[in-house]
Formats: sequence, structure tokens, C-alpha cells
Amino acid sequence: MISTDTNHQQETIAAQATGGGEAAIAVIRVSGPLVPGLVSAIYHSPPPPPRKFARGKYRNVRGEVLDDTLHCRFPAPRSYTGEDVLEISCHGNPLIARSILRDLSARGCRLAEPGEFTRRAFLNGRMDLSQAEAVIDIIRARGDRALQVARHQLQGGLGKRVKEFIHELLEILAGLEAYIDFPEEDLPVEDPEGPVKRIQRLDTAVARLIKTARYGALLREGARVLIIGAPNAGKSSLLNRLAGHDRVLVSNQPGTTRDAVEERIPVGDHCIRIMDTAGLRSHGDQLETMGMRKTLEYAEEADFFLLLLDATLPHPALPVSLPGLLTPDNTLVVHNKIDLLPNQTVQPWGSDFKQISLSALTGEGLDDLEAAMNDLIEATNPVAAEEFVVIGARHAEALETASVSLEESHSLLLNHEPTELAVSHLRTALHHFGEITGQVDNEAMLDRLFANFCIGK
Amino acid sequence: MKNVFDVIVCGAGHAGCEAALSAARLGANTLMLTGNLDTVAQMSCNPAIGGQAKGHMVREIDALGGEMAINTDVTAIQFKLLNASRGLAVQAPRAQSDKKAYQFRMKHTLELQPNLTLFQATVTGLIFENGKVVGCRTNLDLDFHGKTVVVTTGTFLRGLMHIGQNKNEGGRMGDSSAKTLSASFLDAGIELQRLKTGTPPRIQGRTIDFSVMEEQRGDPTPTLFAFHDTRQDSDLFHVEQSGEDRPGWEPGVRQISCWITHTGDQTAEIVHKNLCRSPLYGGAIEGTGPRYCPSIEDKFVRFADKPRHRLFLEPEGRSTNEYYINGLSTSLPFDVQVDLVHSIPGLEKARILRPAYAVEYDFAPPTQLFPSLESKKVENLFFAGQINGTSGYEEAAGQGLVAGVNAVLKGRGEDPMVLSRQECYIGVLIDDLVTKGTLEPYRMFTSRAEHRLLFNHGSAEMRLYHHARKHGLVCSERLQRMEAKKQTVEDWTARLNTGRTPNGTFGELVRRRESDIPFPSEFNYLSAEIRSEILYRVGYEGYLKREQAQVEKVKSMEGLRLSPGIDYGRVRGLKKECADKLAEIRPFTLGQASRISGVTPADIHILMVHVKAGLDKKASDRPEAAL
Ligand SMILES: Cc1cc2nc3c(=O)[nH]c(=O)nc-3n(C[C@H](O)[C@H](O)[C@H](O)COP(=O)(O)OP(=O)(O)OC[C@H]3O[C@@H](n4cnc5c(N)ncnc54)[C@H](O)[C@@H]3O)c2cc1C
Ligand SMILES: Nc1nc2c(ncn2[C@@H]2O[C@H](COP(=O)(O)OP(=O)(O)O)[C@@H](O)[C@H]2O)c(=O)[nH]1
Repeated sequence: MISTDTNHQQETIAAQATGGGEAAIAVIRVSGPLVPGLVSAIYHSPPPPPRKFARGKYRNVRGEVLDDTLHCRFPAPRSYTGEDVLEISCHGNPLIARSILRDLSARGCRLAEPGEFTRRAFLNGRMDLSQAEAVIDIIRARGDRALQVARHQLQGGLGKRVKEFIHELLEILAGLEAYIDFPEEDLPVEDPEGPVKRIQRLDTAVARLIKTARYGALLREGARVLIIGAPNAGKSSLLNRLAGHDRVLVSNQPGTTRDAVEERIPVGDHCIRIMDTAGLRSHGDQLETMGMRKTLEYAEEADFFLLLLDATLPHPALPVSLPGLLTPDNTLVVHNKIDLLPNQTVQPWGSDFKQISLSALTGEGLDDLEAAMNDLIEATNPVAAEEFVVIGARHAEALETASVSLEESHSLLLNHEPTELAVSHLRTALHHFGEITGQVDNEAMLDRLFANFCIGK
Repeated sequence: MKNVFDVIVCGAGHAGCEAALSAARLGANTLMLTGNLDTVAQMSCNPAIGGQAKGHMVREIDALGGEMAINTDVTAIQFKLLNASRGLAVQAPRAQSDKKAYQFRMKHTLELQPNLTLFQATVTGLIFENGKVVGCRTNLDLDFHGKTVVVTTGTFLRGLMHIGQNKNEGGRMGDSSAKTLSASFLDAGIELQRLKTGTPPRIQGRTIDFSVMEEQRGDPTPTLFAFHDTRQDSDLFHVEQSGEDRPGWEPGVRQISCWITHTGDQTAEIVHKNLCRSPLYGGAIEGTGPRYCPSIEDKFVRFADKPRHRLFLEPEGRSTNEYYINGLSTSLPFDVQVDLVHSIPGLEKARILRPAYAVEYDFAPPTQLFPSLESKKVENLFFAGQINGTSGYEEAAGQGLVAGVNAVLKGRGEDPMVLSRQECYIGVLIDDLVTKGTLEPYRMFTSRAEHRLLFNHGSAEMRLYHHARKHGLVCSERLQRMEAKKQTVEDWTARLNTGRTPNGTFGELVRRRESDIPFPSEFNYLSAEIRSEILYRVGYEGYLKREQAQVEKVKSMEGLRLSPGIDYGRVRGLKKECADKLAEIRPFTLGQASRISGVTPADIHILMVHVKAGLDKKASDRPEAAL
């Protein structure tokens, strides 16, 4: 159901304010009647004066701190939308923005539709009628972008899974509806257990997908990056730098980075996954050789490469199979340990490759790496991360509400309550799945019904 | 006869009857033309009214002042409440009709109706002036003029009947087809397509061996279609009694049974052996038939693992010995039909009175209509019934009533009556037709309604009361009774929800399904129907509230009218595909627009802004201000 109430006093909407662009912070905007109550509920402190920024710990409904944020409220009607508005600036990490949005929906907000803030602003008279054209352009652009993102996401596993859910749900529904709409037909004896079991199974599958979605199927599957470098080039140190904490044991003993650690790290608007860090070695013990072979296997799957060179040493020889994989589109050449170089000049590796100089020890040049990494990913990915977050959160919300409806219908059927009540919940579930894949026409259910049952006198 | 009318209704089927009656009852000078006055309100197929969703619609028709419900109550020979073991929302009344009695009473009602003129003539074409319809021509070379015309010609447009390879022109067996009218529509730019449907053989009762069949009796206490608690007793007249003092008739007395048998051991083999002779399988029929009403050929082919199919023998009336074999629709040749019938237990010696046949006919895809059922192509022209691609008497009657009312309103320059899909099945029906169209003969199912739980049959009057009042569809006395009933139900619902007993509120006890709830004694004095409605509202409060909340959400969109004059091609920001779709459907409200396939939420937001900014009006005044 599209919520386009003209009398939009009812629903409070939330979304990441797009266009911020900066990776360092994300702004989440909330608009609607729930806003006045939200501030104290979230920050456990009285709301700051209007239009003044306040700092506070964002706590979710369970009281857990999600982030240290700045917030500012704009009471109606002097706000962007003309309604009560709250703006929250949190850290740019997409996971954080997303968890805040999830929490806001748990508090009764609904994720805004593309361009909805602007539309509300317009309908509430915050904009001049002459701006209608501009408003329409914004809605169009946002809507197209959202569609593009959603389509992109649906090409992946999520879309396939949800379509399977819909298929199964339609089968279940057709089975139940047949007995409601065709009581005089010569149908097989109704089996109340069948649908109960099938709903249970379906819900389990949905719950599993939600768990995956919770950390963001897409973010989880973020760009896979393989760091390649000679022993002691500083791979572990760089990883620690990027990850921001001591995840990997660093030692000056070559070859200590033994476990294949995969760390998801926000980089600019994106998220990367550092693959195997066992290191490339041309010598060493049995174990390390295996680690190296594995690194080469990883290379086949990697989306991007960081070729890490010790700037104080001559370029090492790479295993023969590697150079073919490295291209300027997928590789950054990183010269480490520049703190040890008095004049900081490095010997470039390859032609056309972007060269970055940094020190994993001091952190110098790390921003350059992140920026270059971001550009590299951006160049292959048409869609901005902030929109992934919103769409991702929308999908997670849809799955969760669908799951709640499935559970309701399950318990109704289990308790032998009238089928039409259970069906009412199942249809709600179908509607929520439809929010992800596009709504399913009732004809699809009827098709199943008439294919599975011989109806017609 | 002066040949100028407010409303002309072409056709006297179920759609035509309701259209003519509702128009005349609103005070419009109405003419009903039909090719054959002896087949008024004929049931072309099975002798039954009601059932799931259809029964609901009949009650809605009654709430809107229509005739089908009361006509059924008075003439039916068996009543059954379907789904009696399930919840109230999906229970539905169904009745076996006495076909002739039904027709006679309906014809007599038409004859007695003030403002209504009946005339037997076949309409051969419409008369157009400046893109508007102004009347029609007939085979008698008499022309009739009307401000508005309602076309309800059913299956008659280029009707072609098939029995095996045998073909006969006709709208249904015994009636001729309307051949020239189609051309008139095509001339006016109205697109036509083909559909098909079929009907089983009728057999003679005294050749049936009922002893091997299972008897199916009606309910001892009939569930009636009309709201007798708000209607006057004088509505209950029987044809024989008209003109007299009308002492009243007690519907549901002297019920007649149906009989259940099934296909025999040889039936499947006979079908398979002769499939090549079926016009359906031989490709002679091009129209699409309904999925929910398969012929016996279809049943054996598509559900090959099902060894036998159930059949009902339904009496066609009190004063006839003719029986209808429900479940044996076919278009196989007559000699095969005889073998088929004889292969059925109890029908070994049965004699066929009328063969089964399939009929192909033209219909006008209903996306060419506004929700008022007025044509988008030709002003003042309305369509109702099977010509819109539906199937079924109740579907036809519901549309007929709406078209009749709107034909009058149009003639008076007033806004149309649009029933929304959030308030009744007729609303769902019309919205589906005009928004999505149909690929097969459209039949109503309860599953087509998003808010089925709100549509229990007993609440039809309360759901549609505001339309009845606004347009004066029922007399003021009945309006008052409807209002009072609505009030009683609402008051008592509130009272039971809050009224306390030692074990919690009455509402809680009802929801816990406790027995022997000590209701206040006044409650027990209420009529059974009112009590059942109150208990439904109390017992299912949570569900009804949930669905009501969903309805509220879309209500404002349903309330936002889109002017039919919007030039969607010039609405800034709309994609071409979407603009084309909108231009084709020309939605009546934003809600309807949102249900058109391919229209996205962003498009809806854009339309909203467009309307709010008044751009829809400006665009027509100043074409250069293209937006
Ligand atoms: C063979 C057959 C099988 C069917 N099977 C089923 C079924 O299985 N299930 C089901 O639900 N429904 C079935 N139906 C459909 C059901 O009968 C119709 O849906 C319903 O009667 C339609 O009502 P109507 O008022 O639209 O048209 P009809 O009842 O067809 O009435 C049309 C009226 O228009 C008149 N008319 C036609 N042309 C002209 C003209 N040119 N000038 C003047 N008058 C004209 C006719 O005389 C008639 O009075 C079947 C119909 C037929 C014919
Ligand atoms: N001075 C300096 N030392 C570094 C730098 N990066 C790594 N090292 C040191 O180099 C050694 C090997 O680093 P490590 O990260 O374990 O290398 P790996 O084997 O490639 O994972 C350690 O002693 C680090 O402290 C750097 O940028 N500057």
C-alpha cells in the first residue's frame, strides 16, 4: 500500500537525508507527529531548544547505545516539511545509519518513500506553488534512483529468495482460499495440518533471511579486497589501521598473520571485506606455503587488490599467475613505511596504476588510500551507499513485518480459529513481500487455485 | 408513445432489469427495450442465485434499493447458507430459483413500476451526435431518443452457439443474436473482443432414478437475501397476489431438494474418445472461457488423476419437470452428450430436453469505462452486465443498478455514484473491471476483496447506507429504519465492549467464546440479525479494526479526484509508459491510479503534487503552460 495521505498528520517518516555525500557523517531526518516524543525517548534527556544541536548517545528501544550523535529538532511549522522534524547526525558507517533507521521503525516510524519529504513540504505549503516543477523533478529523480537501487539489489540472492517465499505463500493461500470461496465444490478433505506446517517452514526461512539481512546482505557481501604483499611489507599493520583495532596479531617475525581473517570495513560510502591475510610468501614453512596457495585461490574471487610494497625495499617478484589479474581498474599500488623514507619519494610500480604512499605505522596517507579505494568501488558501482542503506533497511523492515504476520496466521490456524482470519494475516505477509519485489496481483493466487483444484460446476 | 426519454435501457437481462428499475425509481422517465419480453430476467444457465461473494452482492443490491434480493426470496425453492461452519464474513446465502417464477415476478415488477415503459424491439444500432449517444434504432424502424443509454445486451452481440461442429447464431438457446449492434459500437471507436462460456444439458425429471442419488435439502430456516427488517411487508408479493391486498408471503416454505450424483466409470473414456469432436479442443472456438467453470472435457483433461467428478441435479422450478445437471457443461456433439448423460449413475435412462452448448460472444473490454460505467469513448453511453466481460446474474445485476443510477445522475448533470472497493463487493467488481480489465469472463470471489472481513453479508445495509441516503435509492421510511438499525448496532457494540461483568467486559467474554454470557435483557430482545452483527463486531474487534485502519490509510487517496481532462502526456515527470497507461484508464481517483499496473509510488506523488499545484486545471486553460 502506498501511503500518500494528503492529511499526513498520521504517519511519521524517517530516512537518511540523501545528498550529504560526506562519508564522515550521515544525517537521518524524521518528520511527523511522533517526533516530539522521540527525542527524550532516544536520548534519555530533555530535548534541546529548537534549532540547537545537542550531543547525545543514541539508545535503541532496548536501551543499547548505537552511536554518539548530534541531534537537532525543528518544531512545526518552521521546518523543512512543515511538520515536527528531528535531524540526527551519526557516524558515516552505513551499518550505524541503518541500525538507527531500524530502531526508528521499531518506534513506529515508517521509512520515507523517495521524495516524500519534499512532497510533504510542498503539500504543507512550505514551498511556493511555482516550485511544483522542481518538486516533481526531485520526486522523479529520487524515485528512479530508488528503483534502480532496488532492481540492483533484487538481482542478487535477496530477490530470488523473496520470490521463492512469494511462490510458497501463494500456494498456501490458494489452498486455504479454495475452501473459503468454493465450499460446495468437491475438494479433497481439508487438511488443517498442511498449511500450519508450511507456514512454519516458510517463517523459519524468512527468519533466516532476516538474520542475514540484519547485517545487510549487501554490506556483508561488500567489495572483496585482497591485500597482496611480501612478508613484512606491513599487511597486518595496514589491516589494523583500516579496521581501527587490533584484530590481527602483528609481529615483526615474518609470516605471523596466519589466520584467514575477513574483516568488513567501511571505506567512504562503501564497505570492503579484506580477504585472506596469510600473506604471500615465496619461502617459509609448510603451513605458510599452504597459506600462500590459498591466497592465490582468493585472488580469483577478489573484486579489488591492494598491492602492498615496502617502500624501503626493492620491488619483489610476484608469483607468475598474479600480474595477469591486476589491472588499473581493480588494483591500487600501496607504498608502505614512507615514515622511514627521508624524502618520501617512491619507485612507482607498473604503469597506469594508481600509486598511494602511506605509513601503516603513523597513519599518514591512509585517507588517500580510503579515498582512492572509494573511487575505485564507485567506478564499478552505479549506486551510492546511503541509498543501499535505505533500501536495505526497507527490505529488512518488510521481511520482519511479513514474518510477524506469518506467525500470527500460524498461531490462528494452530488454534483452529476461522481460516479467513489467518488468511487476512497471510495476505498482509504477501503485501510486505511485495514491497520488496513489487506487488503480487490477486490473479496470481487465483491461477494457482484453479491449477491445483478442479473448481467449477 | 412519445419517443423521448431520460434513460433508455437496451436489454432486459439481470443487468437491464436493475438498471431500468433504479433509473425509474429515481424518477427518470425510462424506456426498457428488449428483443423478447418473454425472456425478461432469464437465467441462461443454472437455476440459482447467490453463493460466495455473489450472495454478498445480492444483499448489497438490496441495500441499494435493487430488486434481485427480494425477487429471489419470494420465488426461490430452496435456501442454503454456505460456509455456515465458518466465520460470518465468509458465510453466504444461496438459493435455488424457480426460473419462471423469478422471471414472472420480475416482469410484473417492471410493469408495475411508475416512470418505466417496456417495449419489445431489437436494438439494431445507436444514434450518435457529436461523439455523444442520443438514442437508438430498432428492427421495427422505430427510433428512440434518450439523454442517456444503458446497454445490457449480455451474450447477444454476434452470439454464436456451438454443439460439437453444429453452429447456430444466437445469444442463448431460443433467442436470436444481435448482429448489427456490434458494428455500431465499432463505428463509435469502441473496441470489442471475444469470450466464451458454456452450459450443461437439461433433462426430464421423470426419467431420472433419484434412488441412487444423495438428497440435498435446503436449510430448515432460510437465510434470505433482502433486508426484511427494514423493508415493508408489501414488498413480499407473489405474482398471483399482485393488485390484491398482498397479505404477504412467507419465503422459504415448501422447499424442493437437489440431488447429488457423480460421473460414471465410462464417462472419462467417452470424453477422451471424442475430444477431437469438441470445438474447444478442435480450435473452432476462439473466445476465452472461464478458468472456474471448466467444461467436462477440461475437467478430465486437466485433472486426469481425478477419477470422478461430482454432479448436482437441480430442479428448474416448481411447475416444471426440467432438471439442470450442474457440473456437466460441455460443447461435445449431441450424440456424445447422450452417451455422457447415460454413463452417469441414476441417469442411465435420462432424456435430454435441451442439449449442452457453448456460446461465443462479443464483449467490450471494460477498461473503456469510467467507474460510473459510462463509456470513455462515447458520452452518455453506459454499459452493464456480461457485455463488460463479466459472468453471472449477480455481477450483472450489481452493475446494472450502478449504471441505471449513474445514467440518471448524468442526465441531471450530477456527480456519479461510485462505490469504492473499500466498502463493498460491487465496488471491487467495478474497480477491477475498469482498472485492470479482464481476460476471461469475470466472476466475483471473496478473495478478490482486500477487506473481506469487513464485508459480511449482514452488514451490507450499514456499509452502503450513505449511498442510499445521498441518492435517495430507497424510500424515506426504509432509510429511517436503516439509520436506526445502524445506530442500534453501533451503540450496542460500544456497550458490550465497555460493559462490565464480574469476569471482564462483555466484549472479553465474547472474544473468549464463553457460553452463557449474561447479556443485558434488552440485548436479547434485539432481532437475531442485529444481535449477530453486534456479536461479530465485538468478537472480531481486533481484526475489523486492523482492516479498517488499512482502509483509512488509502481513503484520502480514494477521495482525491483526478479530472478526466488531465493530459497525462504533458504532466511533467511522468514516464511515457506510465502516462500512456494513465491516459488509457483515465482514473477517477488517485487511489484508482495507484492500482494501475506499472504506475509507481513516485508517479503517484507526482500526480499529487500536480493536482495540488492546480496544474491539472491550468493545463487545460492555458495549453502553453505545459507541465
Ligand atoms: C450459455 C450460457 C452459459 C452461461 N453460464 C454461466 C455460468 O456457468 N455461470 C455464470 O455465472 N453465468 C453464466 N452465464 C452468464 C449469465 O447468464 C449472465 O452473466 C447473465 O445473465 C448476464 O446478464 P446480463 O443482464 O448482462 O445479460 P443477459 O442475461 O444475457 O440479458 C441480455 C438481455 O438483452 C436483451 N438483448 C440483447 N440484445 C438486444 C438487442 N439488440 N436489443 C434489445 N434487447 C437485446 C436480451 O433479450 C436479454 O434480455 C451463462 C450464459 C449463457 C448464455
Ligand atoms: N616504520 C614502519 N614500520 C612498519 C610499517 N608498517 C609495518 N611496519 C612494521 O613492519 C613489520 C611487519 O609488519 P606486518 O604488518 O606484520 O607485516 P605482514 O607480514 O605483511 O603482515 C612490523 O614490525 C611492523 O611494525 C610502517 O608504515 N612504518
